[in-house]
Order: sequence, then structure tokens, then C-alpha cells
Amino acid sequence: MEQEFRIEERTDGSVPVIAVAGEIDVATAPQLRECLHRVIAQGQTTVILDLLDVTFLDSTALGVLVGALKRCRELGGELHVVVADARIMKIFEITGLTKVFPIADSLTAVGAS
Amino acid sequence: METMGTDTLRVGDRVELAFPARGDLVVLARLVTSAISARAGFDIEELEDLRLAVGELCLLALQGSDARHGDLHLEFTVFEDAIDISCTLAGAAPSPDTPADGVEVDQLSEQILSALVDDYGRQRDDGSARAWLRKRRRRHVA
Repeated sequence: MEQEFRIEERTDGSVPVIAVAGEIDVATAPQLRECLHRVIAQGQTTVILDLLDVTFLDSTALGVLVGALKRCRELGGELHVVVADARIMKIFEITGLTKVFPIADSLTAVGAS
Repeated sequence: METMGTDTLRVGDRVELAFPARGDLVVLARLVTSAISARAGFDIEELEDLRLAVGELCLLALQGSDARHGDLHLEFTVFEDAIDISCTLAGAAPSPDTPADGVEVDQLSEQILSALVDDYGRQRDDGSARAWLRKRRRRHVA
């Protein structure tokens, strides 16, 4: 059964964690964009984006992530991405974004839980 | 001996799907692509590639158009060793895109397509945009 799209925000220590579940595509990416923009606008320049429960990602979603990464870096921060699913990782690989994003395969690897 | 189920698509079969050109309905194209690819003999990895690629086809057709009044029309054609999929947006006026994230998403779409399918292309005329792809099967299906 298809997993419902969901975004949850939490703070792990001083770093905000945005956890996404379901499919991020042209229909749902604007919600993620709004969430990331809001968190960064609140002064959080380093963000952990938990994509462990994401089941699908398209170019619109990647555009949102790249835009947020630029914002974080302009402010001296970073956008850490957490991906474990091979199909999701493949999309980062074929677009060359594994060289752009710091990508970890677990939350503990980026110091979150 | 391998038997062919009654729901198997054969060489020359064509399937069409049309729906209002809205982003929240692109999921329909992906769902139908999964079903058709499985019935056309593609394996699970190829099926996942096609599902992603078709979403990108729809995005390429939608980009640069005011699609509020248009329809997306998908056509799937099964060949002996491949499937052709085209996505046409008709009835929509051209509209200049302004990248929401300062990122050229159509470049990402083209990167994804070039990695996942054997051939693809796009063309645009007044009020109509078309993107298409061809993906070959790894295994031969009679």
C-alpha cells in the first residue's frame, strides 16, 4: 500500500531534523520547499533531512533540495541528507548529486537519533 | 514451458491514458506505467526505472506551459524488444518558467532520462508539448 506523504519536524540537540515519508514529486515538493524555507528563515542554517521513509523522489524534489542546500551554504550552514533506500540513492547518483550533498545512510551517522 | 497470462501485453499492443494536466495527477501516469511495464515483460528494476522516467516525461511536457486547461495524453506501444512511451500536453498556452529554487529542473529531468532509458526527446509547438522515450528490455519476450 502506498505510504501517505508526511513531513515531521523535530529538533535533535541544536540541529533541526525534517523527516519526510511517502512520495516527493511535483504535487508534494512545494510542501517540503515551504518547510525547509521556514526552518532556514528561523535561523537554522544547518538542517538534517531524513529521507529514510521516502518511497519516491523526482526532479522537482531534487530541485527543492538543491535550492535549500544553496540557502544553507550561503548562510554558512549545511543540509545533511539521510538516505538508505537503494532506489532513492540511485536518483542522487545518476544526477551527480552524491558529490554535492553530504549523504549519510543513518541518522546516527549525522549525529541525530 | 513458459505460459502467457491473459493480462500480458503483446508486441504491437498500444495503451492510451489521458487525464487533466495537473501535478497531483502525475501519480496516475506512474501507476499505469508500472502496470503496463510488468505486463510487457520488464523486470522489477526496469519497471522502477520506467516509473521514474514517465514522471519526468510528464514534467518535461508540463514545463513551459500554462497547463490549467490542458490534458496530458500518454501513449504506450509495446515492441518485441522495447516499449515506447510518449506524453503530449495539448490545449495549453506557452508560459515562461521561473525556477522556484533557482534550479533548472528540466536539466535534472534530462539527466534522469538519459540514465534510465535508451532514447528520449522532446518537442514543443504552439499550445502543444511532447516528450517521448524508448526503453529496451534486458530479456527477450516473444
